[in-house]
Amino acid sequence: MIRHAGARALQGLLVLFAASFAIYMLLGLMPGDPIDLMASGNPNITPEDVQRLRELHGLDRPLAARYADWLFALLQGDLGYSRIFSKPILATVGPYLANTAWLMLASFVLALAIGLPLGLLAASRRGGWLDAAINGFAFVSAAVPTFWLGLLLIVLFAVVLGWLPASALPPPGADGFWARAQALILPVATLALVEAGEYARHMRAAASEALAQDWIRTARAKGASPSRVLWGHVLRNALIPVATVAALGFGGLFSGALVTETIFAYPGMGKLIYDAILASDFNLALACLLMAALLVIMANFAADLVYAALDPRIGFSRGGGDEP
Amino acid sequence: MRLRTLVASAILLPALCAALFAPLLATLVGYDAGAVDLMQRYAPPSLAHPLGTDELGRDVAMRLAFGARVSLTVGIAAALAAASIGTAVGLVSGYAGGRVDAVLMRMTDAVLSLPVLPVLIVLAAVDPAKLGLPDADAAGLWRIVAIVAAFGWPKVARLVRAATLALRARDFVRAAEALGASPARIVLAHILPNCAAPILVATALAVGGTILFESVLSFLGLGIQPPLPSWGNMLTGAQETIWQAPWLALWPGLAILLTVAAINLAADDLQERLDPRR
Amino acid sequence: MRLAGLAAAALLALLGPAHGQARDTLTVGITQFPATLHPMIDSMAAKTYVLHMARRPLTTYDKDWKLVCLLCVELPTFENGGARRVPLPDGKEGAEVTFRLPADAKWGDGTPVVAKDAILAWEVGKHPRSGVASGEGYRRILKVEARDEKTIVFTNDRVTFSYNDFSQFDLLPDHIERARFEADPETYRRRTAFDTDTTNPALYNGPYRIVAVQPGASIALETNPHWHGAKPHFRRIVVRVVENTAALEANLLSGSIDYVAGELGFTLDQALALEKRQGQRFDFNYVPSLLYEHIDLNQDVPAFKDRRVRQALLHAADREGLVRQLFEGKQPVARAFVNPRDSIFAADTPVYAFDLAKAQALLAEAGYDRVVDGIRQNAAGERLSFEFGTTAGNRIRETVQQVLQSQWRRAGIEVRIRNEPARVYFGETLRQRRFQMAMYAWFSSPESVPRTTLHSESIPTEANGWAGQNQPGIRSAAMDADIDAVERELDPAARKVIWARMQKLYAEEAWVLPLYYRSDPFVVPKWLAGIEPTGHQYYSSLRVEHWRPR
Repeated sequence: MIRHAGARALQGLLVLFAASFAIYMLLGLMPGDPIDLMASGNPNITPEDVQRLRELHGLDRPLAARYADWLFALLQGDLGYSRIFSKPILATVGPYLANTAWLMLASFVLALAIGLPLGLLAASRRGGWLDAAINGFAFVSAAVPTFWLGLLLIVLFAVVLGWLPASALPPPGADGFWARAQALILPVATLALVEAGEYARHMRAAASEALAQDWIRTARAKGASPSRVLWGHVLRNALIPVATVAALGFGGLFSGALVTETIFAYPGMGKLIYDAILASDFNLALACLLMAALLVIMANFAADLVYAALDPRIGFSRGGGDEP
Repeated sequence: MRLRTLVASAILLPALCAALFAPLLATLVGYDAGAVDLMQRYAPPSLAHPLGTDELGRDVAMRLAFGARVSLTVGIAAALAAASIGTAVGLVSGYAGGRVDAVLMRMTDAVLSLPVLPVLIVLAAVDPAKLGLPDADAAGLWRIVAIVAAFGWPKVARLVRAATLALRARDFVRAAEALGASPARIVLAHILPNCAAPILVATALAVGGTILFESVLSFLGLGIQPPLPSWGNMLTGAQETIWQAPWLALWPGLAILLTVAAINLAADDLQERLDPRR
Repeated sequence: MRLAGLAAAALLALLGPAHGQARDTLTVGITQFPATLHPMIDSMAAKTYVLHMARRPLTTYDKDWKLVCLLCVELPTFENGGARRVPLPDGKEGAEVTFRLPADAKWGDGTPVVAKDAILAWEVGKHPRSGVASGEGYRRILKVEARDEKTIVFTNDRVTFSYNDFSQFDLLPDHIERARFEADPETYRRRTAFDTDTTNPALYNGPYRIVAVQPGASIALETNPHWHGAKPHFRRIVVRVVENTAALEANLLSGSIDYVAGELGFTLDQALALEKRQGQRFDFNYVPSLLYEHIDLNQDVPAFKDRRVRQALLHAADREGLVRQLFEGKQPVARAFVNPRDSIFAADTPVYAFDLAKAQALLAEAGYDRVVDGIRQNAAGERLSFEFGTTAGNRIRETVQQVLQSQWRRAGIEVRIRNEPARVYFGETLRQRRFQMAMYAWFSSPESVPRTTLHSESIPTEANGWAGQNQPGIRSAAMDADIDAVERELDPAARKVIWARMQKLYAEEAWVLPLYYRSDPFVVPKWLAGIEPTGHQYYSSLRVEHWRPR
């Protein structure tokens, strides 16, 4: 177990290292460096200014040398400064990270809370009208463009009904816990609705499969109540494949909530990464993207742990998390 | 025919027809989908324009049909490209195993952790004429195909690898190996046909995924560029006028929603039909 | 009955301030979040907008586009003796300009605003490694001296007509920032109190000071007790950032935002649509600004070397019709690079009316006299077919582009739309002049000298690191001479003559196709008064202390 975890961690580190190099090169490949962008928007910047600023920000040096510097500083625990915010990376990322954590957790829990019971219910009523309805919901929810759904929710609940605020973050001074929770309802609902269908579908498939297994039939024949069979045996078995999907979905929420964050004016990681990349803020973009990659890798690992916890038959011999 | 098959085809067939016959339809009606008419801006639905007109006085119904053409082309082309790469990698990885497998699988991990945005921007700066693409209008289209292909293949690769691993241990593959068939022949003649089901399903899902992805890119201003209509850029263009002309947001939104749902439904249906266990 | 009365009272309490009671908080919506808050490092519209509420430069342009005093007692001029010509050590002539700070001007901690603060700002500005984006303005000042606590004497290295314009000169509080700057100028930009201690009241000398910052979301300001000017009405102003304009509108309609800044808010057609539905709730004011939307024609494109082709493009485009239909006439068609509201605007600048026949004639005259597949070409078979680019995702530009495309097609000119994300477009395509036709906008101040945009020395080349904004590649000796002359001409009347000559030349040559001046849509709730749109880069928030409920 520990050996396996160690091997996984080492592989993860290697992937992160490779990714950091690739990301750095990609950022460097993007046309127009930050100083060019600054110069094109400001008629007062002279050629001398361009030269001076490029040198000041170290942009006149080769990309590989800059990457080496970055890596060297990172190994000493120094993430550097964000160019656009003029602040240390951690201080810049902190508030955004906290915002994203709330949004992710709430929508993840809600999506599971909606999706899993619906999937289970559909499986237990296979072929009936409830199954059809839940299936219909699942397919529609996975097919809806997020910004369209978000805008419709804002129009309905914030403007027409006036029940909820349109922005996901209340202004300073009015941002008590309840105000924040209330403001998060719409974006969380948007994200959760889009994800819930996916979970319901996977849950339904997994539960159907479990229901068809011999030992479930045996349990039934032995007189176990249907609800006990469903919630006890079936759920437990169906959760295994669903865990993988959920873990990957959770990792994706980190940077994938960009559209929802934009519509609801919520400063989260998706938006920060987007802005950092567009402004060629190398340090900031790299730090955020590596955090996202780390999270995905850890989520994969967590999925394996869930696997093992739910099904004692599965040990850690499976290797790299590549579901067979 | 089962209900879900019926529902999926009832949505997909008209969309496909619209996509295929949009130019024909335009000639028949004698209406140029790109014709700008500033006197007819934001006209509500009427007999002449059954779905109303947009901010440039163009017929929304006609643009939806042409949008279907663009959105479906992007979706299908991108899905096929991703599936081809993914299948190739998955087959090699699964059949070869060992070090090759490890390297290829870590590569898929790394690709999954790469951000899409900078690649999009790099690609946006590539001059389509230099790549020998004659039609500058279609540059945005191929950009999205390239992106989805570049970032979508790992999913397929993993599926195919898993299927290959399972097949490699099966008797008929063993038998072929014993008879001295070359690895290439085994993979192509024995393993690939038996992986068809997961590949088909994954490809179908990728078509729907790409259509949604295009709408997100349009939202960020990185999607298909006007005047070429796609459902994504029609929807994005309509968000600011959601009060003034709600139908502009309604139709492309519904088109995306229904089409993607139907594609996923069809993929699901396909999966159940092709599942050997049933 | 009692119950009904109670309910009514409760309702009134809920609706609260909307019904005439004292409002003491104003929530303003903008579409961009300022990354840093240091006034000199980097320039960003959102930062300027917010800092205008909390800080005052020495001078500014008012709503009538006249230079006025802001953080000074009187605007120094040659006439009133506040400025004088002085010989420089190198034999040239410079200008000495003396500013007197208001006696009661104080920073938010009660420390007086003094001449030392100007000296520090100048030192930071001209320091090559301080990270200030544009050092030119500071480097043109040879020295800054404190004659006494409240008197600053600037020595400019040349005499220009804008000798007393210090609107971009921001004072820095010496007692806070000097130690940070001197410790290490190179890392000053990371240690400045503006970004590490943003809520320190000593950084602000305006009517408001920043009291809270929510990164990416909002900035809260409260009144500055030490402010020396008119007492502001609102105790607290919250500037909230909503980048998506559709969501911004929803925020306004749902009441989470009171007012959307005209300078950084709605798109024009959004405001026009809003007016039709909400005309009774808001006042709509469309203010033509100094944002000049135009299409650059790359002079290296062979067809564009012929003036007749350039002029034909203008005659074939129904700009008046376009502005009328798309913008309800709210954005005035441009004749040249000078806004009609600017005092230097020349009313006799030639106008190109929409005249398809004339366009056809000009094209035929230029040799493009045969039409194949609807596109004109010349004897050599060169077709009038151009690539037309702008920033992708800008809906209004994309709309205008498609209208022009269909109009030009009628004249036998094909344009192929090829747009790119702003990042690529400005960062590479435009800057390295790899375009044929490019639509974008310039923002300038009143009577700004177009040296970087029209002078032949400002053509971006690889050799000069692609600096300069003369993207079309205009090489005109007459224009160059006039640019040099106008800057040195101090007599306004004589200057106007040169300005008129430049506008005429610009219009006649049609190197650039002028489209229109963008209008900022100010959507102000009926209860709010005192917002005076300026239309230039010194925003209405410089007069924030006059904002009040009606």
